[in-house]
Amino acid sequence: MKKLDISKIVIYLILFLFSLAVLIPILNLLAISLTDASKAHLMNGLDIIPKQFSLATYQVLLNNPLITGGILNSVWITVAGTVLNLVLTSLAAYVVARNNFYGKGAVVIFLIIIMVFEPGLIPEYLLVKELNLLNTYTALILYKGVNVYYLFIMMRYFQDVPEELLEAAKIDGAGHLRLYAQIMIPLSKAGLATLGLFYGVFHWNEYFRSMIYITAQEKWTLQVVLRQFVIRQDNTTIMGGYENMFGGQMLDFASLQAGTIIIAIVPLLLLYPFILKYYTKGTMEGGVKD
Amino acid sequence: MTVLRKLRHDWILYIMLAPPLAYFVIFHLIPIFGMRLAFQDYRIVGDNVWVGFKHFDVLFSSPAFFTVIKNTLIISTMKMVFGFPVPIILAILVNEVANRFYRKYVQSIIYLPHFLSWVVIAGIWIGLLNPSEGAINLISNIFGASSIDYMTSKDHIRWVFVVSEIWRSAGWDSIIYLAAIMKISPGLYEAAKIDGANRLQSMLYITLPQLYGTIVTVFILNLGFFMSAGFDQVFNMMNDSVISVVDILDTYVYRIGIVNGQFAYSTAASLFKGVIGIFLILGTHFTSKKVTGNGLW
Repeated sequence: MKKLDISKIVIYLILFLFSLAVLIPILNLLAISLTDASKAHLMNGLDIIPKQFSLATYQVLLNNPLITGGILNSVWITVAGTVLNLVLTSLAAYVVARNNFYGKGAVVIFLIIIMVFEPGLIPEYLLVKELNLLNTYTALILYKGVNVYYLFIMMRYFQDVPEELLEAAKIDGAGHLRLYAQIMIPLSKAGLATLGLFYGVFHWNEYFRSMIYITAQEKWTLQVVLRQFVIRQDNTTIMGGYENMFGGQMLDFASLQAGTIIIAIVPLLLLYPFILKYYTKGTMEGGVKD
Repeated sequence: MTVLRKLRHDWILYIMLAPPLAYFVIFHLIPIFGMRLAFQDYRIVGDNVWVGFKHFDVLFSSPAFFTVIKNTLIISTMKMVFGFPVPIILAILVNEVANRFYRKYVQSIIYLPHFLSWVVIAGIWIGLLNPSEGAINLISNIFGASSIDYMTSKDHIRWVFVVSEIWRSAGWDSIIYLAAIMKISPGLYEAAKIDGANRLQSMLYITLPQLYGTIVTVFILNLGFFMSAGFDQVFNMMNDSVISVVDILDTYVYRIGIVNGQFAYSTAASLFKGVIGIFLILGTHFTSKKVTGNGLW
């Protein structure tokens, strides 16, 4: 009989425990959010199956103006922000990927300086204030408009496009704009998907600038609503006016908080297969020095 | 070709570069120069007044500032000492998993927390550490320990930061080591096997030494963030009962700047932080280059 490989078992077990540490808290929140309010007090932190299945929590949440508004605001900022990020980043990446043009060295040095030196919180805040962008989504859509690190990743995708293709197009009379729009962009879909996910996840999860730039409650993003409700435990602002009841249904704040967290995670879970495919590859290629 | 003709030849490139460049100038360069506020008094109306090192003098003589520096250093050091090795260990362990499905399962689960916002993670951990129903206290109750309110305990809260940071980042951070492990020549392992090395021996004497360069690079990169100590985490997990042991530079800058409106004083604190950060990264880069031959560039 083959000798039992103890070290293998230990390794498999350690990794299994680590994966449980991630899975159980998330499944627990899901189970709490799907449990009927009357049974919610019976759910503890290790339960991963709902006690009495009910979608009431989500019915309440999706009828709450701050939550639905937060979802819409976050979706808008994420979509608009990501599109702007991709346009700005790919334009710059296309130019930097060109071999010889006057001033390329200066541009690259400028980008590295931008990458190394981060502006402080206060001057950024004062700039947004001076531009009259406080309480506007524009401030959030423009925040971190180009990430230089991502720009260099995109540049590498562009450099992978075969030079012969570009030469052939140039002979046909194509200028830089056509090369960019009709050859580079269509041939670098994987790169754009990678960057789109990088930027998209960033915008969806952003809460701090949203919190300090946007003071009007009806303009809050989902992360800010979530923070107010779950971290600051402010039931009144979020669920005020319901008096523990909604449309004849009993409310349980723990379930509602769990449901809000789940709502904030769902878009990421839906995109997760793509995140694993592109994001991981992009990070490995960007992070490993040869 | 003269400069003018070169510029004219590729004029469209400069037009394409204009939008991203304008973005950098307005939203990056202008606020960087805005850091001069650290040497000024802020005026709502009219120009700011130069005051030299006044804010730094106040800063360095304020006991609050020293508490904040102390907390930042302690929290960063704890994360470095206990958190830094975890992704390395995880990568080596994942690499030992031969079963393709199990490997994929483990990887997709342990990468997940990296994609959750700190608001979500703080929400999850506040629940996990709940004294009555939280999973962690339930488990320690099974082993006979009594419940602890970790989030409001000054003795525990920094450990909460360390552990939740590992929970969030260790899986994802293992990717870079895993990528480096894949590049190790299989011949090394075969040779070791022929010499009778067991699994543990090849992990310790082949995989780990081959990761040396990557480890140094990641270490230097992390040191660059040393003075940050993880703002988003601290900001979302702190509360009034523990503020004296968890208030860090960045939360301090936020509070005196955005909340109290002391713009200039707060900018001085963040400029101090930035300068230390740059010295840290340059210092470790050159030391490591000298000692190991490996640096950032």
